[in-house]
Amino acid sequence: MRSDKNMTRPVIEISHLSFSYNGSTALNDVTLSIYEKEFVAVIGPNGGGKTTLIKLMLGLLKPDSGDIRIFSKPPKTVSHRIGYVPQDVAINKSFPISVIDIVLMGRLRLHPWTRVSKKDKIAARNALDCLEMLEFQNQKIDDLSGGQRERVFIARALATDPDILILDEPTANIDSHGKSHLYGILKELNKTKTIIVVSHDTMVLSSYITSVVCVNNNVHYHDDAEITDEMMDMSYQCPVELIAHGIPHRILKTHKDK
Amino acid sequence: MIEALEFEFMRNALLAGLFASLICGIIGTFIVVNRLVFLTGGIAHATYGGIGIALFFGIPYILGTLGFALIAAMIMTAVLLKAKSRADTFIGVIWAVGMATGIILLDLTSGYNVNIMSYLFGSILAVSTSDIWWMAGLSIITITAAIFFYRDLLAISYDDEFARLRGVPVNLIYFLFICLIAVSIVMIVRVVGLILVIALFTIPPYIAEKYSNSLAMMMVMATLLAVLFNLSGLWLAYTYNLTSGATIILVAATGFFISMAIDFIFLNKTAS
Repeated sequence: MRSDKNMTRPVIEISHLSFSYNGSTALNDVTLSIYEKEFVAVIGPNGGGKTTLIKLMLGLLKPDSGDIRIFSKPPKTVSHRIGYVPQDVAINKSFPISVIDIVLMGRLRLHPWTRVSKKDKIAARNALDCLEMLEFQNQKIDDLSGGQRERVFIARALATDPDILILDEPTANIDSHGKSHLYGILKELNKTKTIIVVSHDTMVLSSYITSVVCVNNNVHYHDDAEITDEMMDMSYQCPVELIAHGIPHRILKTHKDK
Repeated sequence: MIEALEFEFMRNALLAGLFASLICGIIGTFIVVNRLVFLTGGIAHATYGGIGIALFFGIPYILGTLGFALIAAMIMTAVLLKAKSRADTFIGVIWAVGMATGIILLDLTSGYNVNIMSYLFGSILAVSTSDIWWMAGLSIITITAAIFFYRDLLAISYDDEFARLRGVPVNLIYFLFICLIAVSIVMIVRVVGLILVIALFTIPPYIAEKYSNSLAMMMVMATLLAVLFNLSGLWLAYTYNLTSGATIILVAATGFFISMAIDFIFLNKTAS
């Protein structure tokens, strides 16, 4: 039911959420709301809890305390409405799998039958086409470059027909040209979907995002796309000199779409 | 070899080799891509405890080993799913406890006259007709499970977290396939013995993995390689009067080194 959504109701609501790994606090008293069709950048230092926050949203981890709601429901019951692009999929390097078989994973359990239907194949090909990867569909995933692989995993997430797309450091293995290309695709997808992207590319991201979430055990939400000195400092845990002139220190472009 | 097929034991050996190849091709592929080789070795050795129980209590061999292998497999799976970082230690302990139990129970069994060597090193030439039926049944179950759960299996093996998000019952399917590993081990032990079983589960899939574009292709290619190794090993063992299990494994190992040599030459050529 897509029509019952409205702009005033947040798609993701987190209140007073805390989470720890074996007693060491990863996230402390997090309260955060994300609205429909936002393009959110999640930034913060390594080990600050970015991936933990994502996994809590997906229902892969259970909070110690506090509440998390996706479309007003517990995450586990609606995780199929979220398209997830994990941080490092290529752990199993020599695995014999083709591009199309990976994208077809996105169609799992959309119907009770365990086999692939014609409709699934069409949806998978469309997702690949959307990311300009259709010509590689029968290639082994290992034979592709880092950027191409990343696009395959985004296609897999798209094949699930999600309302929210969450990407965890999608550009870690991509050159700067590939990055802008990828963010261009995400911007296009943002017309219909809420997008949450964990990334260090604050500079490249700045012209696409609508809001910023800073995660460093605590979470700060900034509902404009401006990334400040303070946020950069927090992100890198050391003072960062921003290349900017004028007051206030604006390093990022304003949103032309707004 | 053809005239040898006039003997029933040779026909049984041939059929056992073919069914074993099919089971190894499919289950072995699952083992290799999921990095479950150590777990497989653990279950295989723990089944020695089952042999001890079967002989001590005078119950059929197949019940003792099957029961013991399944219990060992369930404990190992539970540990693997709950505390992955400690899994290798637990598997090692169960491996040793199973073997020790078997040895002690055999000590306590008065006047057993079963040739224990046939369990350790296998005896494809002594496979009975009822063993063949067990293997045929298991082959059908394995093929059915692999076809029915193919997409789930692929997703679980490649990216289990994503599979979980899609609502695939990951733990259940994982559990099911590890039980299939346990049952397969009990069957294949008849052919090559529990010490060598690990080689037949790993060498054919390992070679097949390098030349496959999909898991299905890997399963088919591993099965064909296992057929090649089993039948040529059987032929050599028959012709030169050698221990069949060890001969089959050495043929497989030769295949393994030839494939490595081919890779080495090929890689050197592309590098220069």
